[in-house]
Amino acid sequence: MGRYLRRKLLIYILTFFVAVTIDWMIPRFMPGDPVSLMIARIGTRPEAAEVLRGYFIKAFGLDVPLWQQYLNFWKALFQGDLGVSIWLYPQPVIRIIQRAIPYDLFLLLPAIFLSWFAGNQVGALAARARWLDNTILPLGYLLTATPYMWLAIVLAWSLGNVAGIFPIAGAYSFAIRPHLSLQFILNLLHHWFLPFMSLFLVMFGGWAIGMRNMIIYELESDYSRYLEALGIPQSLIRKYAFRNAMLPQITGLALQLGGIVAGAVATEVVFAYPGIGYIILNAVQNQDYFLLQGCFLFIIIGVLLANFLIDLVYIIVDPRTRLGMTGE
Amino acid sequence: MSRKLMFVILSALLVGSLLLAACQPQTVTVTVVQTVPVKETVPVVITPTPAPSPVVYPRNETIYTSGKQWGPPTSWNPLQTGAYAMGVIGLCYETLFIFDPLKNEYIPWLAESGQFVSDKVYEVKLRQGIQWQDGQPLTAADVVYTFELGKLGGVYYQPLWNWMEKVEAVDDLTVRFTFKEVRYQSWGNLLYSIAIVPKHAWEGRSEEDIVNGPNLPPMGTGAYMYETHSEDRMVWKRNDNWWATKLLGLSVAPKYIVDIVNPSNNVALGLFLKGEMDLSNNFLPGIATLVKGGYGVKTWYDDAPFMLAANTAFLFMNTTKKPMDDPAFRKAMAYAVNVDEIVTKVYGNIVQKADSSGLLPTWSQYVDKAVVDELGFSYDPNEAKRILDGAGYKDVDGDGWREAPDGSKIELKIMVPFGWTDWMESIRVVAAGAQAVGINLQPDFPDFGGYWDQLTGGTFDMAINNFGSNMSDTPYTFYGWLFRNPIEASMPNGNFGRYDNPEVFALVDELDRTPKDQMASVISKIQRIQLTDMPAVPLWYNGLWAQWNETYWTNWPSAAEGAPKYLPCTWNGYWNMTAILMLAELKPAQ
Amino acid sequence: MSQEQPKKVRSEFIYFAWRNVKLRIGVSILLAFVLFSIIGPFLAKHDPLEYVGPMGAPPSREYWFGTTTFGQDVFSQFAHGTRSTLLVGLLGGSIGTLVGILVGLIAGYRGGLVDEFLNMITNIILIIPTLAVLIIIAAYLSVRGIFMQSVFIGLTAWPWAARAIRAQTFSLRVREFVDLARMTGRSSLRIVFTEIAPNMMSYLLLVFILQFGGAVLNAATLDFIGLGPTKGTSLGLIMNNAVLWAALQLGQWWWLLPPGAAIAAIVGALYITNVGLDEIFNPKLREM
Repeated sequence: MGRYLRRKLLIYILTFFVAVTIDWMIPRFMPGDPVSLMIARIGTRPEAAEVLRGYFIKAFGLDVPLWQQYLNFWKALFQGDLGVSIWLYPQPVIRIIQRAIPYDLFLLLPAIFLSWFAGNQVGALAARARWLDNTILPLGYLLTATPYMWLAIVLAWSLGNVAGIFPIAGAYSFAIRPHLSLQFILNLLHHWFLPFMSLFLVMFGGWAIGMRNMIIYELESDYSRYLEALGIPQSLIRKYAFRNAMLPQITGLALQLGGIVAGAVATEVVFAYPGIGYIILNAVQNQDYFLLQGCFLFIIIGVLLANFLIDLVYIIVDPRTRLGMTGE
Repeated sequence: MSRKLMFVILSALLVGSLLLAACQPQTVTVTVVQTVPVKETVPVVITPTPAPSPVVYPRNETIYTSGKQWGPPTSWNPLQTGAYAMGVIGLCYETLFIFDPLKNEYIPWLAESGQFVSDKVYEVKLRQGIQWQDGQPLTAADVVYTFELGKLGGVYYQPLWNWMEKVEAVDDLTVRFTFKEVRYQSWGNLLYSIAIVPKHAWEGRSEEDIVNGPNLPPMGTGAYMYETHSEDRMVWKRNDNWWATKLLGLSVAPKYIVDIVNPSNNVALGLFLKGEMDLSNNFLPGIATLVKGGYGVKTWYDDAPFMLAANTAFLFMNTTKKPMDDPAFRKAMAYAVNVDEIVTKVYGNIVQKADSSGLLPTWSQYVDKAVVDELGFSYDPNEAKRILDGAGYKDVDGDGWREAPDGSKIELKIMVPFGWTDWMESIRVVAAGAQAVGINLQPDFPDFGGYWDQLTGGTFDMAINNFGSNMSDTPYTFYGWLFRNPIEASMPNGNFGRYDNPEVFALVDELDRTPKDQMASVISKIQRIQLTDMPAVPLWYNGLWAQWNETYWTNWPSAAEGAPKYLPCTWNGYWNMTAILMLAELKPAQ
Repeated sequence: MSQEQPKKVRSEFIYFAWRNVKLRIGVSILLAFVLFSIIGPFLAKHDPLEYVGPMGAPPSREYWFGTTTFGQDVFSQFAHGTRSTLLVGLLGGSIGTLVGILVGLIAGYRGGLVDEFLNMITNIILIIPTLAVLIIIAAYLSVRGIFMQSVFIGLTAWPWAARAIRAQTFSLRVREFVDLARMTGRSSLRIVFTEIAPNMMSYLLLVFILQFGGAVLNAATLDFIGLGPTKGTSLGLIMNNAVLWAALQLGQWWWLLPPGAAIAAIVGALYITNVGLDEIFNPKLREM
């Protein structure tokens, strides 16, 4: 177990290192001059522009040799200094991101867990009932192939505009000031439902298909045949198959995190839901590179944490890792 | 079972965390950026005292607006003209006068009257009985303090002090401004745009805080007080002790104003159609269809052009580059563009074709008809071809495109920022028009940064822009932008084509020093040069985008008979151009 | 004998391939789209960006998919968009697969330090979310084209392919025929490409199909948030424009629905083909 965890941790630390390096490199080695772009964006008087240029060059640390820029970048990072936003000048990037994160957790965690859970259950069911298989399978493929934003737009339009059941924008009503009451909580949930649904549905499709295929693999495997030959009841074999199929699904969760990030961005954009994805859109539209880079770092940190948690779960679920029998 | 329990706990935790996040007091921390050295950043934490008010705004007492805020509100400082939140000037802080562009007159506001008492002395009498929202009276000292702030670096009306000598309080209600040289046009403009700030509340602040601080909560003399804000909204609450109720008999009906930070077009339109937004000052696509289609959507006119005109979109040509340095070529471009197609196809008739002079309809009195009749232009490809032929632009090598008189190839680009969809569509029309007369002009869509770099740096060929042509009290602001001078390395404030003509620069300067009633002759000279040299081609008037529905509020201003005639607009600089009076006219629907 | 063997394998493959409903459905949808992307632009009577018709008109005989708010022909945009979307998928998918094959094969065959190193890199890039990197890169490019987009998508999508191929290579390299080849003294690079790779052809095909689908979806997301090509058109860009101009709210469903549905259909067909092929290559799965 120790070896397994150590290895994983090493990879995560290296990943973080590489990601930060990419984050540092891109603005410096891409064509164009991000500093003048940012000043253009703020669009102030020429005198002020010169002052700003000086500030940005300092803030980007462009006035020292490259290797030192790199070290300074790391130093600032550990002090939580991600620069100042252009879009919301002069707010620090870190504060903007801090405000967005609760909404991301609130949207993503339930969507990921519930879709994974429901997808696995339904997929397992589909593997043993032909009629279910014939309906769930095509539906699953269609859902998982649907671009997130398209599904989100169609949901917003049909349930939000035409049927008028759900609100289509924001995290809570414009008529309400945040406070602790049932009314406010219900309002939050009401606004949360459609973005959640569009994430849930697409992911659900993927998990259901994955589970269904896994179970069939397992049921056709040698050990299942052997158990069958021994006269073990089908239900027990299925149980074993389910448990074995869960392992790849857990690994799959880690692999899917990148895709989930994409989904979150698209969904939050459609519903103007104030998470990191929505901030990314605004950062892109406003050429707010500090903010964009900050978002990138937080996504990496989030994905790394999630990976680590999944590893821990994997250790609990798969006894082989505890014995150091597997490297991956 | 345990799994289910886990999910319940999980979701409870999540909702809890979100509540915590959403219910945090609105703390704004601003890191003030100093010039040198950079490392010394000063965090200023301001926490407004929470007001005991309802947490759910009653629908029939609330007006929902949108259109001004392109990002979360971050500043309530009336000195930060580009950045302050919706309504800071107009709803909260007020000006000495307001200006009515439709009637072309100044309305005394905080001031009871104001006039030149001698050649170089202007005297303002304040109304008696005006109170700040904290109960202190407004006095001449506040006005003096406000104007003297202009001596600080970074305050937008700093140039005023180049030609003003002093400002002094004669008594509690009289302020006297003494000029070195009177710039009538600039002065008239400042009189209704500088918001008076409370001396007693601002005095103790550092220079840095005054100029760059967020000023939260704002405290002015106006009809509305700061209520709250968050990432996606700005909320104002009615000031029930507003001076104008007593002194002018005005009262504003909506108790709350919730301004929604602009979402994307489709969300904005969705909210609007759901009745969750009362007044939208966004450019909403397809609005003509909605007005006609019985969706309950109203606009200023109930037929084309639907909107009032707010500013002029110009085709700028880089006069430092060949062949745009040739007035004949520029003139040919003016004839080659099919503006009607832009108006009908791109905008669906919600904008109007611009006058040859480029002056907005509210300035039509300044258009010299004789000059425009003589030198004006309209879409005429044959005329464009004739001008080009005459000036020696001919297709010599037979590739279908005209070459310059010296035989060199002409390959030009016209640009607008990527993602500015209406403009993107517009320049496709412009390019098609140019191509039809044999000019090889291709549309180009760099992102905003690239666009702005090329535009202000003078490296572009052709571009569309309208930033400084906004409605105001004087066409001087318009000409000052169009003929911005001197030509510098970076030109962010107009004259993007770097048209260099000392004669017209001198005329624009003269215009500033000319009283309003004597402007006509100067403007006529400017127009003659403009239409002869054609440094930039006025194409269409962008609208004062305003659409509303009458579900919750009625008696909106519009062109209809009997309706109030004020500007229905929440943008910066429009509350003090009569939009505040619109609020006083609104009535709750039954 | 040596002539007989592959022929038999091939006919068996075709036999099962034809019997597999999933494959039949998937491949026919894909073929239809490929065919459409080739001939569609010729069928389209109008330039995709030109204002040719009435504004916001529903589908009609003249404008099969209706027109946009400006009177552009949606069918023509759709035809050209399908072409470039498939192109992005093909290009991005190929680059992703090729890099994946290269890294995976070398890591898997060489083992040892080379493997440790390549595997480490693969695992690292695997964790970094592709779209986040793509957004950062695209945001810094002020002129973006379809080709550039495909290259970047391909260059960020390869890690999982490399990992899967590495695992396959591991299991293959200890087989007898590889040992035999090694004894003949051939270079390892040649062995990898002449002995191991051909035996994984079926597997590589599956990898390519998934890479293809991934590239299409990634491109659509980039287009949608406004980081798509600044020139030309694609299914994602049509969607982006339709949303910017509030097509659904204005009742112009014909503008927004076809591009999204087409992407879903293309990617869905790819997935179904993938499963179908999987069943054919793994006889154990056929029964279900």
